[in-house]
Amino acid sequence: MSNASSPARLSSRDRGIQTWALLVAAYRELNARKLFWLSIVLSGLVVLSIGALGLDEDGITIFAWTLESPFFNSTVVAPETFYKLLFSNLGVQFWLGLGATILALVSTAGIIPDLVTAGTIDMMVSKPLGRTRLFLTKYATGLLFTALQVTVFTVACFLVIGIRGGAWEFGLLIAIPLVVLFYSYLYCVCALVGLLTRSTVASLLLTMIFWFLVFGLQSAEQLVSVGRTASRLELDAISQDLEAERSHPDGADAPEVERLEEELAAQRSDDDTWQLVYAPISWLSAALPKTGETLSLLERSMDDVAAMPGQWEEQRAERRADRRSARGEDARPRPDDGAGPGGEIFGSSRVGGREIENKVAEERAARSKLYVIGTSLLFEAFILAIACWRFRRRDF
Amino acid sequence: MTTVYTTSEVAPSAELAVDLRDLYKTYAGEVHALRGVDLAVERGGVFGLLGPNGAGKSTLVKAMLTVIAPTRVAGSVLGAPVGDRATLKRIGYLPEHHRFPQYLSGRQVIEFFGALAGVPRRERKQRTDELLEVVGMSAWAGRKLGTYSKGMQQRVGLAAALVNDPDLVVLDEPTDGVDPVGRREIRDVLARLRAEGRTVLLNSHLLSEVEMVCTRVAIIVQGRVVRRGTVEELTRESARYEVLLRAPPPAWCFDGAENGGIVGARVEPGSGPMLNSVDPRGDLQRLILPQAGESVMQSIIDRLRREGMTVIAVTPVRESLEDLFIREVQDPTTGQAHKPGAGGVP
Repeated sequence: MSNASSPARLSSRDRGIQTWALLVAAYRELNARKLFWLSIVLSGLVVLSIGALGLDEDGITIFAWTLESPFFNSTVVAPETFYKLLFSNLGVQFWLGLGATILALVSTAGIIPDLVTAGTIDMMVSKPLGRTRLFLTKYATGLLFTALQVTVFTVACFLVIGIRGGAWEFGLLIAIPLVVLFYSYLYCVCALVGLLTRSTVASLLLTMIFWFLVFGLQSAEQLVSVGRTASRLELDAISQDLEAERSHPDGADAPEVERLEEELAAQRSDDDTWQLVYAPISWLSAALPKTGETLSLLERSMDDVAAMPGQWEEQRAERRADRRSARGEDARPRPDDGAGPGGEIFGSSRVGGREIENKVAEERAARSKLYVIGTSLLFEAFILAIACWRFRRRDF
Repeated sequence: MTTVYTTSEVAPSAELAVDLRDLYKTYAGEVHALRGVDLAVERGGVFGLLGPNGAGKSTLVKAMLTVIAPTRVAGSVLGAPVGDRATLKRIGYLPEHHRFPQYLSGRQVIEFFGALAGVPRRERKQRTDELLEVVGMSAWAGRKLGTYSKGMQQRVGLAAALVNDPDLVVLDEPTDGVDPVGRREIRDVLARLRAEGRTVLLNSHLLSEVEMVCTRVAIIVQGRVVRRGTVEELTRESARYEVLLRAPPPAWCFDGAENGGIVGARVEPGSGPMLNSVDPRGDLQRLILPQAGESVMQSIIDRLRREGMTVIAVTPVRESLEDLFIREVQDPTTGQAHKPGAGGVP
């Protein structure tokens, strides 16, 4: 029995003991969850798939088989770039960003509801342990799940790319914090809902809905951004045509000038509408976490992978020019050459889809990493602040 | 809900382990769970907290341990203001209906809660081994909790509440789900804690157990402490002698000036199942003499016999804790038990 007259004080050592105990318990909890190990096994299969694919001079190889391709082989794409592309697209965007994230949400959605269940929480909060620290440590437990998964997967991919691609790309490891960050945006919502409802199912479903809404909003923002940019470029192009017509050495063609002025007025009206639609979407999007953009930061961090779409487009443009020359047509690029989905919708005879896409990509790239991560973390901090406030004040 | 702490008005007492004053807890919807509880628990000994379901016992304990925020409170726990987090290091708590992580073994549960109380690793392991032995769970220490019976989980919970070597142990229904052998073992643990000079606050519905182990008790009804003291103190006022007579007692038996100063003497029919053999006609009378001393009783019996009364039996009677409890929790106007909870005007 301790001396009753001595005041009890919590030292930093006590806090260290408590935090370590919570983390060890978290590991044991994860270890006890079958889904944790299922995720690890599935991650292993994805790594195996990546490792099974290869690139040689004839085309793509799968184990000992070769799928011959004159457009996709080691003379077009370096094997190390190919593997990084696979890792970035198949591994991170598809597996970690979707499959493993759903599994992680299913596995960890119950952590906070389990914590606040009567009978468990009583014992926890009756210990000399701050409620905020308890909640945040449990929250970190959920992130630990993803961190372990991503670390295992990324390191395995790093080894595969090193051994098979011959490039020891340490930059790939940036995927670990990026994916954990991405997951934390969703998991903070999951934790808050779990705390408020004490229901694993509710927290899982509402988080999925939130994720879907964020994805929808980001897609809408991207689409509206393409339309707005196309409108602006069209406006500039009409203005230039009008200016050219007015300053024509042979004198302005009055009906043409009038037509262009009408077109300019109509385009200005369109442009105003685009601005009106874009503004609220962009504000809302700025306030919400940038899930897709955070994962895309991995591609942005790998120069050769980021440059791949451009390189492919250049190669395609060369092939189109060759074909036109062979047919005896004008080999110069046309405005609709290489237009992506947005470009096809919003392109015009004056502004090419490629030009719109380039402009949109330029604007997107102008968003700094600090903006993407910073605004997302602000959202996360806001949600966690609400959760901590509620957890501190709640009666159990 | 904001808690109003008024500790500055109350000097912490060195003699009291728990000194709660003016404790209120009102939940949303104007449910008044605690309505001005004053409770003093001396250091050392086992203090029993009794009350019907919904009386506010668990709420009181939770308010003391910061599990819920009281609406208003003054006083101290182990000499520190109520709500002082560091003091929790010196308290062990086993809640009713506890739910430990099923993926942990018994040993891991005890060590986990020891760690949360800040107990260093070596000491924690040593205490865990000792406590596993004390609660009779050494052989099962390595098994997962999911394989334990309710009683085994309760034993592990008790060990977890003691792992931080607490000065104050708060146990909410510790024998719930435990078989008679286990109950006796838990009682032995409580006796051991008492012998070690620790303070135990025990919430229990099992009045016979409380009577066996508690040095002092308090009865809570509808959010208020209605009785408090030792079992002896609480049942003393019900102490009386019952004299079984063949005929109605004479008038002087009811007169304080002539019966030796006994106030409130009364007579009741002496019938009852146990009296069938001596009272086939059902004409026995039972003279009840509250708070009568032995010498007074001798003189009353002598006088009754001198006056030709047939004294069938003289029985000293004292209310059990259960009788007292039932009396306290009943509404005197309806004779029914008070409704659970303490809703209404505080």
